[in-house]
Amino acid sequence: MAKFEVLDHTADWALRVNGRNLAELLEQAALGMSSLLVPDLTAVSPTTTRHIHLDAFDAETLLVDWLTELAYLAETEQLVFNQFQLTNVTPTHLDATIRGGRVPELQKHIKAVTYHDLQIIHTDNGLEATIVFDV
Amino acid sequence: MKSSDFNRISPYIYEIPKEFRPDMRVPARFYADRQLMEAALGDKCLDQLVNTATLPGVVKYALAMPDIHQGYGFPIGGVVATALPDGVISPGGVGYDINCGVRLLATHLHHEEAAPWLGDLASAIQVNCPSGVGRGGSIKLSQKELDKLVEEGGQWALKKGYATEMDLARTEENGRLEGADASKVSERAKKRGRDQIGTLGAGNHFIEIDIVDEIFDETAASRMGLFPGQIVIQIHCGSRGFGHQICTDYVRRFQQVIHKYGITLPDRELVCAPLSSPEGQDYLAAMKAAANFAFVNRQVLTHHIRRSFEQVLAGKVKNHHVYQVYDIAHNMAKIEEHEIDGRKMRLCVHRKGATRAFGPGSDVLPPEYRDIGQPVLVPGSMGTASWVLVGTEGSMAQSFGSTCHGAGRTMSRRRAKKTVHGSELRQQLESEGIHVRAGSMAGLAEEAPIAYKDVDRVIEVVHGAGIARKVARLVPVGVIKG
Repeated sequence: MAKFEVLDHTADWALRVNGRNLAELLEQAALGMSSLLVPDLTAVSPTTTRHIHLDAFDAETLLVDWLTELAYLAETEQLVFNQFQLTNVTPTHLDATIRGGRVPELQKHIKAVTYHDLQIIHTDNGLEATIVFDV
Repeated sequence: MKSSDFNRISPYIYEIPKEFRPDMRVPARFYADRQLMEAALGDKCLDQLVNTATLPGVVKYALAMPDIHQGYGFPIGGVVATALPDGVISPGGVGYDINCGVRLLATHLHHEEAAPWLGDLASAIQVNCPSGVGRGGSIKLSQKELDKLVEEGGQWALKKGYATEMDLARTEENGRLEGADASKVSERAKKRGRDQIGTLGAGNHFIEIDIVDEIFDETAASRMGLFPGQIVIQIHCGSRGFGHQICTDYVRRFQQVIHKYGITLPDRELVCAPLSSPEGQDYLAAMKAAANFAFVNRQVLTHHIRRSFEQVLAGKVKNHHVYQVYDIAHNMAKIEEHEIDGRKMRLCVHRKGATRAFGPGSDVLPPEYRDIGQPVLVPGSMGTASWVLVGTEGSMAQSFGSTCHGAGRTMSRRRAKKTVHGSELRQQLESEGIHVRAGSMAGLAEEAPIAYKDVDRVIEVVHGAGIARKVARLVPVGVIKG
């Protein structure tokens, strides 16, 4: 079940994401952002595999870096991913194997992932964050 | 925020007092009439404006223009000046699309003469000016050449035959910010930018063919060569992936050092560092590189538009020459001197969705514009009017030489897409006599006029408040979008 929700924002796009833990929050954020890029994320056939290793100085920066990486691959290679396997996740590190494919067209251009009001907060069910994208 | 939180201090100015929040260093002001004031209460933009009033070194007041709406960090329409040497510079306050701006080109063509060819012109421009997400252009640059381009700006375009001397003289900063340093720009930014010169991008960027609908200031209009019924062209775009990545890189780097400077902020996107710090200086040099990239981008698009006019109109009209009126930035931080309470001060003026609007007499203007004030270009929403204004003594005295930049959104992209179908909107615009060339129908719907404020109302406010003066109103006959 999707644990992300697109929110109204006057000029840009915002996404509220939930996860039982940081790894799931990162995975759901990636799925949420990828779902903005194409009309049907399930239709992307996983023909490409990439490995990502990131170090950051706090969990929010790790989240921004992670999504920035995916936005970069979308802009420069038209690659959209729908399978995310995250390992060794700490608030300052992640390793990931991601699968997806090249799409003929992106329906949205994400210029950047912002820190606007960004805070990973603890809820009864785990973690929650709201991410604003510059589009 | 509610209306009782601020005071109306003149017919077009509202002030949120410094006492509103303990972390405010100065009051916050915004320009609006009653209707625009109520629109501003519809999202979080006024809270964002208050946040900018907390920045270290902020001078006099944090300002917002009548096209204010919610952004990330700064509100869109925000103007914040900090005092040198230790006032801060904020990459998020400039935004990801560094030197997003507008260029106005004019022709010698009357609408009646050009009317049979407008559809062909729109199509030729669409073909010659690549648009859409990640679309590369016809110019592929080596890293060495890109480094030269971003350090030399307009001069690079001149050497390569994409610009004329007059184009550069009629561009803010002559199309080149001194002090740009390619070594302060990441490899990733260079990779994103390498094939994006001469491309429009997506989102709210566009090229528009317009008719001069009405002249309000004969002297200023004739100095710019504008006359009723004339065909003119607007280009709205910025520094593409190159600028987006520079902002991303420096927002991240600043997050790591903010504590070193003892700065606490209400929103992490406002992250900043003293201009005098190594981080502040590095960002300024990289931002200038992105600004130069954007000036060249609009210049190369100008070259492509000239080619399009040549392709379609050569032999069919008397004169298809396209010349530049002016080019302005509306996302930028600039080091400028302003008089504050009778004292000359050097300031870092952040304009996030606001336009520089220097008044008459400024020596940075080309001689032909020096006595009328700087041309200000304000595009409206798609399918609606746009405006040419000039800066005034009032903008120098009140708003750090700044004014509005557009109509300003009121409706989210998501709601616009639910409310409007791109194909229906296209039909409606075509039925109004506007030739539409759009890559994406969903993108078209997000930019529907219903999602924006009435640009004419925004202009009434800046004109009425004296921070710009009306020169000419433009109406569209062709829209080219990604």
